[in-house]
Amino acid sequence: MIAQRSQVRRLVYAIGGALLLASPLAAQPDPAAAVLTRAMDAENQGRAREAIAAYREAIARGAVIPGVLGLERAFSLVAQEDSVLPALDTLVARFPREAALRNAQLRALVAVGRATEANRAFDAWRAVDPESIDPYRDYARVLLFNGRMASADTVLGEAVRRLGSTRGMLLEVAQLRAGLGRWTEAASAWREVMRAEPYYEMAAFFSMQPTPVALRDSVRVRWGVATAPLGAQQALAQLEVAWGAPRRGWELLASLPVRDTTVAIWEQFAQEVERVEAWGVLTEVVVAIQRARPSSAQALRAARIATRAGADTLALGLVREAQQDPVSERRVAEAVPIELEVLARLGRAAEAERVLAAASKTLGPEGTRRQARTIAMAWIRAGDVDRARRAVRAAPLEDADAVSGWLALYDGEIGTARTALRQADPPDPLRIEVLALLTRTTATRSQAIGAAYLALARGDSTRAVRAFEQVATELPEVASLAILSAARVQSARGDTAGAAERWALIVERYASAPEAAEALLEWGRLARRTGDRAAARARFEQLILTHPTSALVPQARRELDGLAMEARR
Amino acid sequence: MTGRRLVMQVVRFVLAVSSSVAALGGVVSPLAAQHLLLPMDAVQANHLKAYGVTFSALREGVRSEWLLNYRGGAFLLPDLPSLRRAALLAGVTVEAMDAAAVRALRGEMAEGNMDAVPLEKAPRIAVYTPPDAPPWDDAVTLALTYAGIPYDAIWDDAVLDTDLSTYDWIHLHHEDFTGQQHKLASVYRDAPWFVRSRERDLAMARRFGHADIPALKKAVADRLAAFVSRGGFLFAMCGSTETLELALAGRDVDIAGVAADGSPVDPGADGKMEWTRAMAFAGATLEMAPGVNAMSDIDGHQVNVPLRRQPLGTFALFGFSAKFDPVASMLVQNHRTVLRDYFGVTTSFTRNRLKPGVTILAEEAGAPWVKYVHGSFGRGSWTYLGGHDPEDPQHAVGAPPTDLALHPNSPGYRLILNNVLFPAAKQKPLKT
Repeated sequence: MIAQRSQVRRLVYAIGGALLLASPLAAQPDPAAAVLTRAMDAENQGRAREAIAAYREAIARGAVIPGVLGLERAFSLVAQEDSVLPALDTLVARFPREAALRNAQLRALVAVGRATEANRAFDAWRAVDPESIDPYRDYARVLLFNGRMASADTVLGEAVRRLGSTRGMLLEVAQLRAGLGRWTEAASAWREVMRAEPYYEMAAFFSMQPTPVALRDSVRVRWGVATAPLGAQQALAQLEVAWGAPRRGWELLASLPVRDTTVAIWEQFAQEVERVEAWGVLTEVVVAIQRARPSSAQALRAARIATRAGADTLALGLVREAQQDPVSERRVAEAVPIELEVLARLGRAAEAERVLAAASKTLGPEGTRRQARTIAMAWIRAGDVDRARRAVRAAPLEDADAVSGWLALYDGEIGTARTALRQADPPDPLRIEVLALLTRTTATRSQAIGAAYLALARGDSTRAVRAFEQVATELPEVASLAILSAARVQSARGDTAGAAERWALIVERYASAPEAAEALLEWGRLARRTGDRAAARARFEQLILTHPTSALVPQARRELDGLAMEARR
Repeated sequence: MTGRRLVMQVVRFVLAVSSSVAALGGVVSPLAAQHLLLPMDAVQANHLKAYGVTFSALREGVRSEWLLNYRGGAFLLPDLPSLRRAALLAGVTVEAMDAAAVRALRGEMAEGNMDAVPLEKAPRIAVYTPPDAPPWDDAVTLALTYAGIPYDAIWDDAVLDTDLSTYDWIHLHHEDFTGQQHKLASVYRDAPWFVRSRERDLAMARRFGHADIPALKKAVADRLAAFVSRGGFLFAMCGSTETLELALAGRDVDIAGVAADGSPVDPGADGKMEWTRAMAFAGATLEMAPGVNAMSDIDGHQVNVPLRRQPLGTFALFGFSAKFDPVASMLVQNHRTVLRDYFGVTTSFTRNRLKPGVTILAEEAGAPWVKYVHGSFGRGSWTYLGGHDPEDPQHAVGAPPTDLALHPNSPGYRLILNNVLFPAAKQKPLKT
């Protein structure tokens, strides 16, 4: 950290030196230029002693400011920061109004901890230039940089007393207030800074990031209103991301009028949101960018992000948008795999095949072959085992591939399916549900399980329910889950009486099984829908009291709240 | 290290262990203890329902304690199965404490600006609200329903006809006691809800022999002031605060515009107001223009007057001495000290319109208005909180209801619930 700080400091001095070459003092005899170049070379190569001698010579030849700044850097390389002070004493006496020299003197004195002398130097500068804000601002800045918040506060207070305001030191005031933990005041000060200098939004963001939870609202009311400068709104949106509420940040930016600046802000915000992997919010941001400034590249990017957010239908629309205008073959080659993946997830296998056939010329034989696995997966989702097998013949599959796992599952080879599905691909909700069942039994074959999931894929709910019932009979260790799966199917197709019968069975016979919590919740919801509030209340309460660690408890509490509201109507 | 300090450290350790065990699973320890502590600091999972659990203890006749300034205003209840069950159902964080831990807690409280206030009986609560109003129309009914605190809904006929002394606590929300329906006629004259409410109020006025709605509402205001004067506790929010005061002070003056009673406001009304009848304010100037959507200069924000509307800021709760000023302390117990402001028909109270002796509980620093005030009137007391809904800063007519399940730790709603429990502690002899 210290090394990093000293690097930053060196960089600042170097830039300062370069800029000051253009100042009246620096624009002096040319002969110094060659010496300065020699000094900088030595400094860059780490030959500090040689650099020190050369910088001294440059000062003597008239290159006062760059010489002093170089000297300061060179001495800091050898950890002798105070050695620059004698030279500065002489030069300050010669050029008492030169801010760069005064600044260097204050920096050196504060850095080596000679506080009294630093105060004296500050007083001397003020005495020379009593109406100027520079001494106050620069000294406060040096103190802030060195973490001397209280001293900086005193200096700024003195500025107000002597000059009447701190208008020219808004930045320092904002930094100081944040440094002192006066967050509400800091938020106000930063807002004024950003009103004057919009590009300070990143500095404001870093400065205000540690705001305690209890005081964040005071930042929000100052930066998040329409009258706040745009930079403040942008900084607040980024703060919301850092504070774990990216949606709140997006809500702030989404309402900005669409123009180039806004789109640039959205882009920057998208990067922040991507860093925290908030895919749902990110999808909204990139879609907004696409709507504001449509392009095939942006549409494709939005489609990729939407797939990560699980927004398949949206992703499909976007990926097709990416191919709408005349686009390059390369763009098509990028878009088609995404389109196929989304279609496969949606179980639209025939459509996926058509898309692949249409794009096969662009993709080439190898590219087309690589997509065969996706086509196979699409047929698996559609429950067409034969076509899935035909598609998979051409596909390059790994040993533990999800395609093999699903096919094994449909064949009833649940041992093979368990291994393949556990190891392959990122998990999707259906695969997790299947694995939850398979990992609760050690059986290696079960035609009933295969039949149940195949029927589900084909949309044959009656057969699926029957098969799950058979699973419950054949494999008692997964009975509660199999019955619950049957109930889920029945509930989804509107057979609430059948579902209720199974929920009741689970609650009665498998009261301590994890499925009992879901059964109680759904059973209670059914009672609430049919107006039996007492039964609903009893079931929600039973869930909370008998399964207090269940992830469904918050939902049960929410249902109870809903019941209470209904009762007051 | 002194012996006393050592004991304190041991006890704190015991407390910490018991707390961490108890907080497991989000709620209560399976171990039986002698007391249950409901912490009200950042640890609490559901601050609002903690009030409901405490209230349910009081309804059971169980004596509880409110630990002012201790962990955000925690509650200490006896460890009873019914209360554990209530806490678990509500998702309220509870820490089991044995006798030693409670002794240590009391020791710690004795050394600081803290005090334990006994809560002895569940206050009987009435909310003044129209018969057809849904619970989410009013922040208080919303908070009470969410916390599981029962209340009676009363309306003009009940106020005029029944013995209000059966209640300890009456709440008012956004009623306009000047009878002008917040001057919304100019915008909503033909809106079905507006027409319905005017017809309902007119029918009520006729039933009680009043010529118009302003006369009816003034009579209601008088009854409410009498309730306070006889020892009741009144909590009011939003527009009911300002208009109740105007109705009381303007009882014998025509302060309602043409749209309300068919005659213009008495041009000399300001000079005829009798502020000694009012509870909180004095010397306010009425807004006489019928087209200007404000009642007086009591409200600092004037949200519905475009050229006067003030932006929302934040307001800070004052800290009070728990031992010497327990009433004010109870009303400001919170886990936050700075709260985001929110609009209402009356959002805030102009500082220079407050009567001397009114206690300011919360203010916006540097602003000419305050947010939350309290005072005595006769043998009773009142509290006014500006704004409509603490979690809906811009609340507009027709806005969707606030879902408190999304705000279980709302510091603004806590202020409302502090007022609900305050009457439960009323019987303790106060030190000031």
